[in-house]
Amino acid sequence: MTPTRPDERALLDLAATWFSDQGWEPFAFQHETWEAFLSGKHGLLNAPTGSGKTYALWFPILLHYMKLHPDFRVRRKAGLKAVWITPLRALSQEIRQSAERITADLGIPFEVGIRTGDTSSAERARQRKVLPDLLITTPESLQLLLATKGYATAFRDCYAIVVDEWHELLGSKRGVQMELALSRLKTVCRDLRIWGISATIGNLDQARQVLLGPGSQAYADSVLIRAQLNKKIVVKSLLPKKMESFPWRGHLGLHLLESVIPIIEQSKTTLLFTNTRGQCEIWFQKLLEKHPELAGEIAMHHGSIDKETRLWVEQAIRNESLRAVVCTSSLDLGVDFAPVETVVQIGGPKGVARFLQRAGRSGHRPGQESRIYFLPTHAIELVEASALQQAVRTGAVEDRTPYLASFDVLVQYLTTLAVSDGFYPEELYREVSGTFCYQALSREQWEWLLNFLVLGSQSLQSYDEYKKVEVQPDGRFLVTNRGVALRHRFQIGTIVGDADIKVKYQKGGYIGTIEEWFISKLQPGDVFTFAGRNLEFIRIKDMVALVRNSSDKSSKTPSWMGGRLTLSSEMSQLLREELYSAALPLKSQSDEIRALAPLFERQREESIVPGPDEFLIETFQSQDGFHHILYPFEGRFVHEAMASLLSYRISLLAPITFSLAYNDYGFELLSDQEVDMQMVLDNDLFSTDYLLDDLEKSLNATEMARRKFRDIAVISGLVFSGYPKKNIQMKHLQSNAQLLFEVFRDYEPDHLLFLQAFRETFEHQLEEGRLRLALERIGRQRMVWKPCQNPTPFSFPIITDRLREKLSSERLADRIRKMTQILTSRKRR
Amino acid sequence: MLHELEIAGEAMALHPWGVVYWERPSMLLISELHLGKVMHFRKHGAAVPRRALLRNFERLREVSAYFGPRSICFLGDLFHSHINREWLLFEQWARGSTARLELVCGNHDILSPLRYEALGMRWRERWENGPFLLTHEPEEADTLFNVSGHIHPAVRLAGPGRQQLRLPCFYLRKQQLILPAFGAFTGSHALSPEAGDRIFALAGDRVIALEEPARGPRA
Repeated sequence: MTPTRPDERALLDLAATWFSDQGWEPFAFQHETWEAFLSGKHGLLNAPTGSGKTYALWFPILLHYMKLHPDFRVRRKAGLKAVWITPLRALSQEIRQSAERITADLGIPFEVGIRTGDTSSAERARQRKVLPDLLITTPESLQLLLATKGYATAFRDCYAIVVDEWHELLGSKRGVQMELALSRLKTVCRDLRIWGISATIGNLDQARQVLLGPGSQAYADSVLIRAQLNKKIVVKSLLPKKMESFPWRGHLGLHLLESVIPIIEQSKTTLLFTNTRGQCEIWFQKLLEKHPELAGEIAMHHGSIDKETRLWVEQAIRNESLRAVVCTSSLDLGVDFAPVETVVQIGGPKGVARFLQRAGRSGHRPGQESRIYFLPTHAIELVEASALQQAVRTGAVEDRTPYLASFDVLVQYLTTLAVSDGFYPEELYREVSGTFCYQALSREQWEWLLNFLVLGSQSLQSYDEYKKVEVQPDGRFLVTNRGVALRHRFQIGTIVGDADIKVKYQKGGYIGTIEEWFISKLQPGDVFTFAGRNLEFIRIKDMVALVRNSSDKSSKTPSWMGGRLTLSSEMSQLLREELYSAALPLKSQSDEIRALAPLFERQREESIVPGPDEFLIETFQSQDGFHHILYPFEGRFVHEAMASLLSYRISLLAPITFSLAYNDYGFELLSDQEVDMQMVLDNDLFSTDYLLDDLEKSLNATEMARRKFRDIAVISGLVFSGYPKKNIQMKHLQSNAQLLFEVFRDYEPDHLLFLQAFRETFEHQLEEGRLRLALERIGRQRMVWKPCQNPTPFSFPIITDRLREKLSSERLADRIRKMTQILTSRKRR
Repeated sequence: MLHELEIAGEAMALHPWGVVYWERPSMLLISELHLGKVMHFRKHGAAVPRRALLRNFERLREVSAYFGPRSICFLGDLFHSHINREWLLFEQWARGSTARLELVCGNHDILSPLRYEALGMRWRERWENGPFLLTHEPEEADTLFNVSGHIHPAVRLAGPGRQQLRLPCFYLRKQQLILPAFGAFTGSHALSPEAGDRIFALAGDRVIALEEPARGPRA
């Protein structure tokens, strides 16, 4: 690093003095970051929540201004100086407070503003005239600023952009949105420094590359700074007292409810992490039911609960007025909760990084250790518990895989720029192809996208009335139609969920939001559990579900869609290793594996517990048909792909129809016909030859792509999702993405956005790369085929899964003839 | 492959694209074309593939050539929305058609009737024709047999090995036949059949009669 100049030295001393005034000592990583920033570097700071990362970057941002404007106390040039991006708007207040604390103490007359989806329209209008000096915002709101006329002037003097929680954005399309915004701002801002802040992930250096652009000058001028905080993490599994009565399947974990009570009693504040909002609701309810004395001392926190309540809960954690909070990933990020002493993870967290992050929520005070308890929800999850222990010991952490060539986000971004000041394709192509996501964007694809924006297709037809972006005489791409511009602004954003419906009391009072499909299943008078209350559904009015309190005990709990997690490859490898240890003598096994001894014994009665060189296949018959269960132990997504692949290959040998089910340990092919397993083995159906080709042809891939397409259609503006929070009737433009998918499949199968749905399926859902490695591993194993009389403990959680895919090579007419039943009740999937 | 049957004493043929041919007057019955829907979306900046709107006309030409009908009766929702240039394509097709064109209006048909009249089309709200009452929305008729559209019917099937299927269908019950949607950019609605209802599923290149399978909610 270049030696620090004397004037910078003085500034750095200022920061150090401020720290000692608070009675703190700056960490080494904070010093490093200050110096790197002041010497003009870009960078990525790897630091966990609660480590003082905000001060690591707010300080040099302000010091830089002081350096440039020695008269900063008396004169202030209005306008934007720095932008702080946060993925969660809930965190923006906290970030503002830390900025204001420093500006006040240093005497810099800066205005610190927030602009998110929650910002009032009055405040927004004020910001439109002149942006605050320091702006805290989200990736979506930043895009909205780029959709504003004159944005280039407004950003010209902005000299710093900080992207907080970059690891969260990295593996998502919001990350792509950030890459594109940064590519534009690198041109627009005259002297810009770009900094990311990330928790620990496996691919930190790639994360820096994605942030700054591969091969860019910014990347060459950047540093990676790691906070070495060496925190001690203690993991403890909660074991059932009697293994015999512990369930073979399930996902709630209520059997062990009593064992968390002493934990809650012994620590100041405990966070109980659940994997779904539904599970969160049930746990909260049951804790109160079994332990009414906890009333008022415990609370619940998840993404569907109304914001006021969530903020109240967060504040209550901070001022130590709660003993325990049952929560979901909604408390994974941000907000520093010093009083949290203990964390309980209910059910497998499926990934090491997530587990470590949750563990890190406890014991924030320097020198304190983080303590986390793992509560298994069913027997085999104990293997996962054991694997997590191993992971914490070895420090294995997953990668976050960045998206590549997301044309949907690019279409949205180009429209955004066309809505504000327009763009010239030549200039923009250089910027876009310099990003990580679009580094392989070809000229042909670029031309295709421009045609798509202007013509809505690749050729001009006289009768066509397509209208979106127009080309001006000077070659500028611009949106002139006000309706198009208005709809696009509402559409900006890449997070697509099920349509949400607000839940309110009939007498008034907002409770939260629930996905529409759950409400649509309810009849007036039905009682459901939400936000810890039993509510009677009255009716839907203007996208609001009206309810009243109910004393009825029997109720439904919404099981939210989405968020089905899968084991990461790191976790699944650790899991297999733990499972293999079942063959070791008891004393060299972990507590968890030892506790599973009765289950392994049952498993061995009819089958085996596979070792490192064995691949287990079980078959048996029931009234549902012929069950064929295979155990790769590779995680749900890989199993989904493998089930699809294998069933397709079997179906090539003879006409057959399968329904498929999978979990993190294995998968099932269920059919009305018996499959000759010997034939499967003899024909080498696990081969990696023609892998991609076979996957594409399997029906299952189409079904998955159909689901991916939904998001793509909304992001790219093919489907209009309606105006949020506005009761403007737009029904005539709302179409069903399913229908659209079929139209593309039938009429434009080479459409880039349609193909993207398949590519995302292979890269992000089926994880083709991992599948290939898994098949190679299986190729080296010995196949052990066990015909069984009854379901084994390993098979039980799989065969009872009702969420199924199907695959068929029979002719439609033949399949219809076999159907024995016409379904009458509407069953939602 | 057609499915031929007798309805209300008349010989009828069901075509796998969702069209009914009524033999005696040589009349083709077609429901739910929803022309103009694709262009409506395109006009508002949603690039639904243009080929989808062309297919409607390709199929119209093909079924007309196949049956050579004396007349074609549209059972409503012929044009989806306000006028747009898809209408020009329809005019072109209509002028070239040798069959007489009839329209029973549906809830989506908001265009001025003058446009239809200019093409020599006759239009009605409902049409009593022989033993049939032709309507857009299904109606109860005391003496006549009702043929209609509107619902876009589909059926869901289940079989061994936890298999499921969903197919658009003709829906025949006492005194009533409901046609599936013909248009390319239209969805479908799964019905819950009752005892005595007969269902003819569209299965690619054929129509398959579902013969009285076991009914009732899934076990």
